[in-house]
Amino acid sequence: MTKMLVKINGQLEGFELNFQHDFKSKGITVLYGPNGSGKSTIISAIAGFTNNLDITVKLDDIVIDGKKTLPPHKRPFGTMFQDPILFEHLNVNENLNFALSRSKLKFKHKITKENLIENLALNKLLKRYPSNLSGGEKLRIALARTLLTQPEYLLLDEPMSDIDIRYKAKLLFFLKKINRQFKIPILYVSHSIEEISQIADQIILIDNGKKIEYGSTENILNSDKFQRLIGKFEASSIIEGAVSSINEPLNVTVLNINGQELIVPGRPGIKDEIVRVRIRSRDVIVSKLKINFPVIENELIGKILNIETEKKTAYSELIISLNKMKKNSTLQILRARMTTFNLKKLKLYKNDKIFIYISTVSIDRQAYQY
Amino acid sequence: MDILNFFNADIIALLITLKLALTTCVCLAIIGTPIAYLLAFKANKSKAIIETLVTLPLVLPPTVIGFYLIVFFSPDTSLGKIFILLTGNQLIFSFNGLVLASIIYSLPFWIQPLQSAFEKIGVDTLNTAKSLGAGPFDTFFNVIIPLCKRGFLTSFIISFAHTMGEFGIVLMVGGSIHGKTKVIAISIYDHVEQLSFAKAHFLAGGMLIFSFLILLTLYYSNKSSIVRVK
Repeated sequence: MTKMLVKINGQLEGFELNFQHDFKSKGITVLYGPNGSGKSTIISAIAGFTNNLDITVKLDDIVIDGKKTLPPHKRPFGTMFQDPILFEHLNVNENLNFALSRSKLKFKHKITKENLIENLALNKLLKRYPSNLSGGEKLRIALARTLLTQPEYLLLDEPMSDIDIRYKAKLLFFLKKINRQFKIPILYVSHSIEEISQIADQIILIDNGKKIEYGSTENILNSDKFQRLIGKFEASSIIEGAVSSINEPLNVTVLNINGQELIVPGRPGIKDEIVRVRIRSRDVIVSKLKINFPVIENELIGKILNIETEKKTAYSELIISLNKMKKNSTLQILRARMTTFNLKKLKLYKNDKIFIYISTVSIDRQAYQY
Repeated sequence: MDILNFFNADIIALLITLKLALTTCVCLAIIGTPIAYLLAFKANKSKAIIETLVTLPLVLPPTVIGFYLIVFFSPDTSLGKIFILLTGNQLIFSFNGLVLASIIYSLPFWIQPLQSAFEKIGVDTLNTAKSLGAGPFDTFFNVIIPLCKRGFLTSFIISFAHTMGEFGIVLMVGGSIHGKTKVIAISIYDHVEQLSFAKAHFLAGGMLIFSFLILLTLYYSNKSSIVRVK
């Protein structure tokens, strides 16, 4: 369990970077922002690969960068860059040993090679050379190799940008497992909403080199600043629920969202597993009256918390809280986007009780773990 | 008897040539490799000037380099005194002088293949090694050298062959002293001067075949390795 304090100031091409954050000692923190917002620079500064910035990095009050500067190879981080590089002159097993023999903890290894080989299915690859491996295989090996250095903090810079979706979900799940099992906090840079809705415990929003928001995943993903950052067209909300039943012949899964049912496509998880789904605002249909012959699979009940009418466009956005049909359930926020014309026609106001209709086909398959 | 002596002289010249080429390559490995590393990985303002200086021997007539070496390393200059202190004899007419001249003359031939091999590996590979806990020397010996084997081989072969073929600079600095500074290229010149075409043919033909084989080996092995080295 390691706490990390980071301060970075300096001039980059096009903007000034002023970043400061007290990283939590557990969980997965995602650094989210548009391309060119300074995300990668922050990772590379923490890892020690950027020289021309004013950098302070402390791990549990031990100075890594500041008055004195540790060279990158002595820093207790496991860093992975966008394109994982394997050493071409070594086979997979030797690549793994390269990291293992240089690990910062000489004797007490938390993560064993055997564990990683099993979990990442590397057994059949050990004797092969990098030039004959696929992108996904390389990524798995690079990840195992990084973990074998026994890092105190894992820094991942969009490592999965080139990996296909099904595979990505598996790896994200594995990262979560590593995070929980070995208690290694992770800083994960991404600009993919699917990825972060899957993996993040907390999110830092960054734009133009500045931290603009920080909070828990649900709070951030439902926040105005986040919605503004990703643009209205992609505006969406994340809701969370446990798998209550699976209809195998028809290949759909029923989620229990605070006691309400939501049917999602495929099999995002096993029974009782918590699954997050992303629902685009424009796919949410609301009505004050219950539709007696619903043509859409999902009907939820909620309350309008707020209405944001855009002055310059035809649209309004409703911020809706889903009703809690179960004790101890958390607040779940859904956003719905509609024309202001329809809003007036339906006479929707703040605090109105409403029925919400969501078609199962509009639910993002990418948004959950397989 | 006479003829035998002549061949003996040629064999001695050949041995001197090989010794010179080998010594030069060893020195280049020590001096040229760090320069190639700096040029490939530490790009800064001084890069252009270093590259220019290093490439200069490629375009200058060897006699120009020879001339300035003789001037700057004459025993009454401080450089000349340092040279005597280090090697025990003065630059001109000595084997050590030949080595220094060859190092300068062949420097671009060592640096350029190696620099492009280093550049091909890229900074990202170095950073990956560092992120896995390898320090600079560790990275150099366990990542860069094995990945750049081909580059080192190319540098070695080309520098070796180039040193063997030196003429102008060797003549100026070494002065063609039999058994000391007389190399193959000068032997050929002497045979032609004395109209001993048969001996000239023998040596020149030998050089031709040697150079052909060495380059063929190099290009052949490069071709077969393209698949492995990205």
